[in-house]
Amino acid sequence: MIRNYLKIAFRNLWKHRMFTVLNTVGLSIAFAIAILLSMTAIFHLNFDSFHNNLDRTYLLYRTEQTPKGPESSISNPEPLTPALKEEIPGIASITRHLQSGIIGIFGEKEINLDILYTDPDFFSVFSFPSIAGDARQALQSGQNIIITQKIAKIMFGDDTAIGKNIMLMLNGVETPFTVATVLEDIPRQSSFHFDIIVNFVNNPAYSRQKGQWDYRNHEVFLTLQEGVSVETFQKNTRAFSNRYFEDDIKKDKRDGAQADANGQYIQLNLFPFKDWHFIRQINGRITGGKTFPFLIIGISLLILFIACVNFINMSVGINIKRLREIGVRKTLGAAKKQLFFQFWCESIIVFAISIVTGILLSKALLPGFKTLFRTGAVFSDMNTPVFLWGTFIVLLIVTLLGGGYPAFRLSKLNTVQTLKGTLKVQGKNRLRNLLVVVQFSIAILLISCTITLYSQLQYMQGKDLGFNKEQVISLPLNGKKDSQLVLDLLRNELLPIPEVQSITAADNNLGLGRDGSRSTSAFDFDYKGKGVNTNMLVVDYDYLKTLGISLVAGRSFDRNFSRDSLSVIINESLAKELGGQNILNTPLSLLDSKQHTVIGIIKDFHFRDLDQAIEPITLFFNRDKQLDYAYIKVNSANLAQSLSVVKEAWKKAEPNAEFLGSYLDENINRTLDREKTMTTLITCGSIIAILLSCMGIFAISLLTIAQRTKEVGIRKVVGASISSITILLSKDFIRLVIVAFLIAAPIAWWLMYKWLQNYSYRINLSIWFFVVAGVITVLIAFATLSIRTIRAAMANPVKSLKTE
Amino acid sequence: MLLQLNNIFKWVNAGGQRTFLLKDINLTVKEGEFISIMGPSGSGKTTLLNVIGMLDGFNEGEYHFMDESVHQLKEKHRANLYKEYIGFVFQAYHLIDELTVYENIETPLLYKKFKSAERKALVADMLDRFNIVGKKDLFPEQLSGGQQQLVGIARALISKPKLILADEPTGNLNSKQGEEIMELFKQLNEEGVTILQVTHSEKNAAYGSRIIELLDGRKVSL
Ligand SMILES: Nc1ncnc2c1ncn2[C@@H]1O[C@H](COP(=O)(O)OP(=O)(O)OP(=O)(O)O)[C@@H](O)[C@H]1O
Ligand SMILES: [Mg+2]
Repeated sequence: MIRNYLKIAFRNLWKHRMFTVLNTVGLSIAFAIAILLSMTAIFHLNFDSFHNNLDRTYLLYRTEQTPKGPESSISNPEPLTPALKEEIPGIASITRHLQSGIIGIFGEKEINLDILYTDPDFFSVFSFPSIAGDARQALQSGQNIIITQKIAKIMFGDDTAIGKNIMLMLNGVETPFTVATVLEDIPRQSSFHFDIIVNFVNNPAYSRQKGQWDYRNHEVFLTLQEGVSVETFQKNTRAFSNRYFEDDIKKDKRDGAQADANGQYIQLNLFPFKDWHFIRQINGRITGGKTFPFLIIGISLLILFIACVNFINMSVGINIKRLREIGVRKTLGAAKKQLFFQFWCESIIVFAISIVTGILLSKALLPGFKTLFRTGAVFSDMNTPVFLWGTFIVLLIVTLLGGGYPAFRLSKLNTVQTLKGTLKVQGKNRLRNLLVVVQFSIAILLISCTITLYSQLQYMQGKDLGFNKEQVISLPLNGKKDSQLVLDLLRNELLPIPEVQSITAADNNLGLGRDGSRSTSAFDFDYKGKGVNTNMLVVDYDYLKTLGISLVAGRSFDRNFSRDSLSVIINESLAKELGGQNILNTPLSLLDSKQHTVIGIIKDFHFRDLDQAIEPITLFFNRDKQLDYAYIKVNSANLAQSLSVVKEAWKKAEPNAEFLGSYLDENINRTLDREKTMTTLITCGSIIAILLSCMGIFAISLLTIAQRTKEVGIRKVVGASISSITILLSKDFIRLVIVAFLIAAPIAWWLMYKWLQNYSYRINLSIWFFVVAGVITVLIAFATLSIRTIRAAMANPVKSLKTE
Repeated sequence: MLLQLNNIFKWVNAGGQRTFLLKDINLTVKEGEFISIMGPSGSGKTTLLNVIGMLDGFNEGEYHFMDESVHQLKEKHRANLYKEYIGFVFQAYHLIDELTVYENIETPLLYKKFKSAERKALVADMLDRFNIVGKKDLFPEQLSGGQQQLVGIARALISKPKLILADEPTGNLNSKQGEEIMELFKQLNEEGVTILQVTHSEKNAAYGSRIIELLDGRKVSL
């Protein structure tokens, strides 16, 4: 019987090969896209899943009630971890975690390394297996260093690494460390990436921060004991917080902050580490929104849905011609079940072929996909039971519904009527229309989202950031020389060149540089009995000039003034908090209560990402402080040429260090990677959605036009014009597309409105985004339909009438 | 007695009005009979045949087929009953276009779950008997009307039914082809198959042992 089913199925598929091809192509594309997208989603969702204690591992963060509302921070003071370990029950292990860059030296080799300063418990909280040596044991000593296999290979080649000495440039001094452990290379799906680990006490700020509750610079991770709940832990820490953060709490109270529901001003919270990969801070709140992976899964389901709708509509459309066959088979003794299987068999064949082609297609598309979406996903990521079962179930459901529905409808038809051939399949068009409307709603939704996302991205890329980003090169000072020295070398080398206009430096970057490192530093101070929070930045001479930041009042740091080390420049936001321009020349008691004078007020500029509002910032001038980035303003038509000039100068100044300079607009663009990826994704999704939807109505139009050949013939004989017939034939579909627009537009508007709320600087949603999306869709749909409708309209009426 | 219809009524409700398709039909068919059903177009012949063939239901009355009360059976049992005992022959042949002659004849056996070897033997017999062995791999569209109807009859006979229901089997054929089909029916009837045929031709009707006349869904006794 199965053989018989297959035989008939193949003959029918061949007979309607046009539709078979349309279906297979559509479904293959959908499957391929779904595979690639869910692979990416799984890749992200599985991040950090290799840690053994994942379920019990958390990030500690504190939420402070400020006058501006609750503010969460993941940065902690040095004594917090030992105190928690000592006083709070339920902690299995707890570790501090501070990551930065450092220069490592072994013999002639001088390498920039990602270093992690942490506690021995790091290896109880997390699972990074070692190849040689006991990592936990090794970290007990401050002189030991743990390196990854990759670094061992680079540093020592095939020699044994254990016992060798590596020099690290700590606070400008070469300090020796002994390799005690070699770790396996870090898994691809790890959020932590580091090259070397040393004990926390080695971190450069340690002497300053030791015992200080108000100097916060590192994250804390912990594992709870089995059976201890997050709530219990958080509750247990309340008295603790009140005791140790007494000063902070006093200030919050004084400044008029409202306590939270538990009466706390400072609350220690736990954030599940399994969501660490998705952690974001929105309006002061820590969230682990998995929007991106679920968006991806959502899009792949929508695309699968569209392809299935095509399949359903086509198979119902085609098989309507086989009503008589169904009737005959029934009189020959076919049971409903058998008919169902016969039709289902045809669906299964199409689906099976499509799945196989889909998999092959996704393999072929994978390299391009990976570069487009910057994902490290590979096929083996999908080898998890959950995913394989999930896929299997989705495919089963898709095949059952997509293939089974038409089969089910057909097998249930009344025998006598099918035999007569007079059967009007009731409700068929209604369902078909409904499905088409949903299809196009999805397409229009995605297109509107594309337009909005693209506009927002354009807006962010084109936004005036308050500084010159086109002609300024940002250069990480990642060599081992003192930064002021390097800066002088660079100035000597570059300033004589006419195209170099000015050079400055700061201790922080703008945007995200090629060194991949970002940081923020901020502090609180009291002014007129009120707490004020400001970001801080240490800069060198010519900062404002080089970056083109405009002064509103006062002056910049100047070589002609000797006492500028106690001068500060503040931005307008801070000036506003301090009472406007009158603040100029007033002394402020900042950082260890030293008196600083405000010498200048600058226009606000975007020193943080564009999804954040501009905060107060204070610029310091301190030639003793290590600066981390040089900024070079060039004035030339050939930016690439200028960059290589700078590179040469750098090679002279720091022959051993890698050149990681890049233009600021490149750095800013890098901060928009998430938005870009999302825009690319939605764009691809919408292109495929509209493509598949149009394939669908194209197929339906073929079927309906075939049914209406006679009508068209008669109309033409009566004198209808080609255009009027084209419109007549397309009208019904276009109407459906318009209905789809009316449904999709409000949903798209709402979604985009919500999404834009994530950005402090955003475009205004315009009705035109949606109108354009609708018009594009209608035009594409009309164009698709015209392929056949015009041909039908132009056909010789005598011929079409004869065929009846 | 093969089947018996007692006071069968069938109607449809259209526009709030009840239209009778069959009115008070009483009919007994004995095994081995050859009955012709006649009547003007629209008088309900096809409807009656469909009711007898259990393809269509009725609204009132009783229908006994062999020992079963059809009006009390579930659809599934009814289907099993006609699958077992009834073969259909249609005016428009109703062969399945996608299947060859051989496969068309074989189809009822597939639905009755015959083994492959048995199917081969039975179909081969049937092809032999109707002298269409040479045509077995052709598709219906490659045959003449008469040949198609032969295949249709072969297909109806393959599962050895007790009753053949033929709705204007010669309606689409020329008189010579029609005559051949009627001769075949006669021969089958002599072999013991009960036949109920609908026909418009007096000549063909005469092949039957009994004629039933329908008018507006009512049986008119002659
Ligand atoms: N589902 C239905 N709904 C309404 N009327 C129906 C239905 N089926 C059949 N009829 C009507 O019942 C009557 C009998 O139809 P039937 O097909 O049995 O006639 P017939 O005697 O076979 O005619 P012909 O000789 O033309 O084949 C016709 O008037 C037809 O219009
Ligand atoms: Mg009839």
